[in-house]
Amino acid sequence: MAALVLPAGLLVVMLLVAPMLLLARISLNRFSPTELMVEATTAENYWRAVQDPYYQQVLGTTLGVALGCTVLALALGFPAAYWLARMESRWKSLATILVLFPLLVGNVVRSAGWMALLGNEGAINAALMGMGITSRPLPLLYNTGSVVVGIVAVVLPYMILTLAAVIEGIPRQAEEAAANLGGRPMTVFRRVVLPLALPGVVAGSVLVFILCMNAYATPVLLGGPQFKMMAPAVYDQFVRGNNWPFGAALAFILLAVTLVLTVVGSTLLGRRYRAA
Amino acid sequence: MGSLVLEALSKRYGSSTAVERVDLEVAQGEMVALLGPSGCGKTTTLRMVAGFIPPSGGRVLIGGQDVTRAPPYARDTGMVFQSYALFPHMSVAQNVAFGLEMRKVGRAERDERVMEALRLVRLDHLADRLPRQLSGGQQQRVALARALVVNPAVFLLDEPLSNLDAKLRGEVRMEIRALQQRLGLTTLIVTHDQEEALTMADRLVVMERGRVRQVGTAEELYEHPADPFVAGFVGRCNLVSGRLEGGGFRAESGALLRCDSTGAPADAALLALRPERIRLDPDPAGEARITAVTYLGAQTEYHVEQRGTTLLVTRPTPPLGDPMRRLAVGDAVVLSWDAAAVRLLPAA
Ligand SMILES: Nc1ncnc2c1ncn2[C@@H]1O[C@H](COP(=O)(O)OP(=O)(O)O)[C@@H](O)[C@H]1O
Ligand SMILES: [Mg+2]
Repeated sequence: MAALVLPAGLLVVMLLVAPMLLLARISLNRFSPTELMVEATTAENYWRAVQDPYYQQVLGTTLGVALGCTVLALALGFPAAYWLARMESRWKSLATILVLFPLLVGNVVRSAGWMALLGNEGAINAALMGMGITSRPLPLLYNTGSVVVGIVAVVLPYMILTLAAVIEGIPRQAEEAAANLGGRPMTVFRRVVLPLALPGVVAGSVLVFILCMNAYATPVLLGGPQFKMMAPAVYDQFVRGNNWPFGAALAFILLAVTLVLTVVGSTLLGRRYRAA
Repeated sequence: MGSLVLEALSKRYGSSTAVERVDLEVAQGEMVALLGPSGCGKTTTLRMVAGFIPPSGGRVLIGGQDVTRAPPYARDTGMVFQSYALFPHMSVAQNVAFGLEMRKVGRAERDERVMEALRLVRLDHLADRLPRQLSGGQQQRVALARALVVNPAVFLLDEPLSNLDAKLRGEVRMEIRALQQRLGLTTLIVTHDQEEALTMADRLVVMERGRVRQVGTAEELYEHPADPFVAGFVGRCNLVSGRLEGGGFRAESGALLRCDSTGAPADAALLALRPERIRLDPDPAGEARITAVTYLGAQTEYHVEQRGTTLLVTRPTPPLGDPMRRLAVGDAVVLSWDAAAVRLLPAA
């Protein structure tokens, strides 16, 4: 058995870990405009990223958008997940496919769709101006709002499916028992459904938060050139600036912040679960 | 006016009917069992009383009030679910306290009533456990305490014993009945187990395919079944088809069976005779033959064939050494019974 598992295991480790190790090594190198990269063991890339107000702001924007999108996806996803989980079996597979459907279209294509909808010549502005509600196009695109809308639309299926899997495991009779004992629908939700769904809330939020922190295509296309999040910033360093060491350092800062917040957040939520 | 009244209560799913015009009155403090085979509409009826299923027709009245359209939380019922449906994230005490919290009972009184209810089901020492740390029987008693503690106007039980092993079932049966009588709870219990229904309930409602076949005490149903279904479902019964002839009953196989036909319906087409009402005596000249003997400990069952008609006979197992004890397949016997032991029924 081990003889079979070992090569496969090694391959997985190679695929997952090797690029990370390589990137970690690169982040400690020194950038040179002439030679691109000089072997070194220095933390100066990290220092520069942490101290530069520009990157502080980019990280701040990234965190704000990721947290906002996670909360929004949770608020929108929970009712949908509940509805999906409690659906009769013959409709359930159809509804699941409908939820999954957006994932069949890549992020870039989907963002292009949002551009066609929200842009100055987009469908919404055309309709508003056609009806005479506004004479000049509203600035719907290229702002935080359009990015948040775009990202939420991308991550919502992940949130819904993760939550639905957990809600399905909550016995319906527990809800009925709570109603039978005098619990009104909101009380039943707060006292029975939500506490029992909390593992799903944690898993879905962690998953979605990580996706949001690393969003690339959506902020680039829907945020426009002025709007910067971390993943596009990393890309800029690697491709436009050719500064691999600094790009790698940015990537690791993004990873570290995501990891810490994920662990802290899920621990806090998990503690509430045990208390409930 | 009963404490719980069902009037022509019906439930249809598309073209199929789960419950068809059920009428029932349960008096204050009375325990009534809905009895019938699986799929006959017992659970659907109970869930319409609790408010989980909207009826297609008819009314539900609790304490004289029409609650047909009231949501479950506005009905004063206490339900024990087949699966217990305890809240897995709450301790035993929190589970039991839930209904009191919903009724805004103050902290001190709540704690007191929770402990009292747990003492009633002898679980006060496990108040801080989680449901998953309890045995099936203990979970079942938590479910009982949780429903009882709010003093519901109507107590509802859906097959409460079906997940317990046989030995525990007998105990819990007695326990539920004792609690129900002590607290004077108006109770509707659903079961497909006739023994459960016979031993627990004041009255039984025998259902079949969504309809009520007969309502009565255990004795009424057993001694005076209204139709062949009830005769066959409540206790065991020999059902022989044929017709009245002279003073007896001519079975289709040709045998003439003794019966008391006074007051029998003219269209009587079935003879119902309980197996324990038949006497059986060894007689080499007898025309009946034993075709099977089953020893059941306290009782012994005999299948006896007489001119093409096979009757089931149950007798107390005779003591060792009694000549009856040696009765075996193929032996000739004579069957006899009191004419009054026979019920004549219309065709099924
Ligand atoms: N949601 C439903 N949709 C369609 N038919 C149902 C539904 N619920 C129950 N039934 C049908 O109604 C009948 C009565 O069911 P039920 O009340 O659960 O029976 P019992 O509790 O006596 O075993 C059954 O034939 C069942 O198939
Ligand atoms: Mg049932």
